[in-house]
Amino acid sequence: MTVTRVHDVRFTRFDGELEGQRQAVWSLARWSALRSMGARRSWKVKLVPIALTLVAFGPAIVVLGLRALFSAQIPINIATALPYKNYDGLIGLTILLFAAVITPELLCPDRRDRVLTLYFATALTRTQYVVGKILAAILPLLCVTLFPVWFLYAGNVLFADHPLGYVQDHKFDLLRITAAGIAIAVFYGLAGLAIASLTGRRAFAIGGYLAFMTVPVIVGGSLADGLGRPGLLVMATAAIPIHVAESLYPGFEGDGPSAAAWAVAYLVVVVGCLAVLIRRYRAVEV
Amino acid sequence: MNDAIVEATGISKRFGQVEALRDVTVTMSDRAVGLLGANGAGKSTLMRVMLGLVRPDQGAIRVLDMDAARRSWDVRRRLGYMPEHDCLPLGMTAADFVVHMAQLRGLPHRMAVLRASEVLFHVGLEEERSRLISTFSVGMRQRTNLAQAIVHSPRLVILDEPTNGLDPAGREEMLHLVRRLSSELGIAVLMSSHLLEDIARTCDSVVVLREGEVVVKRPIGQDEIESRGELHVRVSGDRAAFLAALRTRGVSVREDGDEALLVMAHHNQSETKVPGTFVSSEGLHDAVRDAAAEAGAGLRELRPAGPTLEDSLIEAIR
Repeated sequence: MTVTRVHDVRFTRFDGELEGQRQAVWSLARWSALRSMGARRSWKVKLVPIALTLVAFGPAIVVLGLRALFSAQIPINIATALPYKNYDGLIGLTILLFAAVITPELLCPDRRDRVLTLYFATALTRTQYVVGKILAAILPLLCVTLFPVWFLYAGNVLFADHPLGYVQDHKFDLLRITAAGIAIAVFYGLAGLAIASLTGRRAFAIGGYLAFMTVPVIVGGSLADGLGRPGLLVMATAAIPIHVAESLYPGFEGDGPSAAAWAVAYLVVVVGCLAVLIRRYRAVEV
Repeated sequence: MNDAIVEATGISKRFGQVEALRDVTVTMSDRAVGLLGANGAGKSTLMRVMLGLVRPDQGAIRVLDMDAARRSWDVRRRLGYMPEHDCLPLGMTAADFVVHMAQLRGLPHRMAVLRASEVLFHVGLEEERSRLISTFSVGMRQRTNLAQAIVHSPRLVILDEPTNGLDPAGREEMLHLVRRLSSELGIAVLMSSHLLEDIARTCDSVVVLREGEVVVKRPIGQDEIESRGELHVRVSGDRAAFLAALRTRGVSVREDGDEALLVMAHHNQSETKVPGTFVSSEGLHDAVRDAAAEAGAGLRELRPAGPTLEDSLIEAIR
């Protein structure tokens, strides 16, 4: 006689097809980005990123609000009042602070809590981990570098006398806005991650990042003034992506370095940060 | 298809001057295998080679019938791994973390949530699933660690010293959970430990490493198999009365050391000394118990005769 026992072990096996590495990278990026913005965390952690995002939208909200409420009394010309090319420069400090807050949050806890051992024991390789974290830094940064300017553009389209005509006349602006937003997010994101990869302590990462962004501005500015060589302004790391973004619009001209000089400085920093990140995570012991 | 879960052939690995693994050749096909050895014997390195985290200098290793060096990512997502040290994100809840790990191993989101709930129930953290890991005790953290290792229903889970740092109650629970993995949930287990008792209680076979070499590979239950029908007994009190009581039960007895007795069942019914009192191998324990009760003797030691697992492993490690 065959005896059959049924155990209710409340344990089902997953017999489906496992998703691939690309999905794992995306999952890491999505999860990390949401966590850095405070998702599924206390309100204190959410407060700063959300406040900075609102500040980034501030100029667009003010200008569009004024136009909506008082367009009859104050004829506002958006093109001159708040040009797209100047928007990111206007909120540059906000972007800087936003990156300082979120990028350490992406890497420092993993190093501090030694979670890397577990991550690298899954399908993720070290390079894929870095790629996932870069995506996780860039996506939230777009909330302050790209979405506010898109919002301004959308407002301008809505308030235009001929919305379709506005889109047609400013179709290249949309491309420039997008390229500028991504370029700034990539720069600040990579710089923040590179510095955060050097320490497991969040405070040191924030301090190091702010020093990396502000000290060269002071040194470069002093040297450019003292030596009478405006080309040295390219040392101002915090200003590099803003100038690169502005150079995407027509009529970029300045007393300082050329668009090409800013572009070279941009590439040097981005490639350097990428190299630091990859090197750090290839060498990390798990 | 190959039945072996892990098949290592001539694996060697050197870290600078230290030879961590030396020509390790071993096949593991039992449902639960223990990896035993002192600190620095090469247990963790062998596990990391299996996971593809460390590339061996020489040799080949196949895990779940896949080349662990060439298809390391594919091997890793099909395995579960519970590292020795504390490695959990303290700022996350247990449920969030286990869901996250499930997704990194390739489970779709909906399935990851479902499986996380199930495994947390299994490891006894159903009530605490929404608490931050930073508020957990060491035992709860170890159980969370185990949950993330099995959330994707791996065919094999690698547990590196899972009882490390646990108090006796926590250790007991962890060993019970580990045993259940192979016996009830159908997950093969490879567990390292430097505690023989942990391995003996949870595994079907043991591989002993010494200075990077495999010195013993044997089933755990071998002692009982080899010594079937013989017991090693030590008593206090009236030893002569105990001997007499045993013999009236048809049991053969001989001296085994100063105080110990070797008690044997009769294997041939015709040799039964007292008619009607034949003792089978299975009834030997009862006969010893009854004889001790009748003689008023105290049982100080009662175990299968022959060298214990511990004796034979210590001998091998020397």
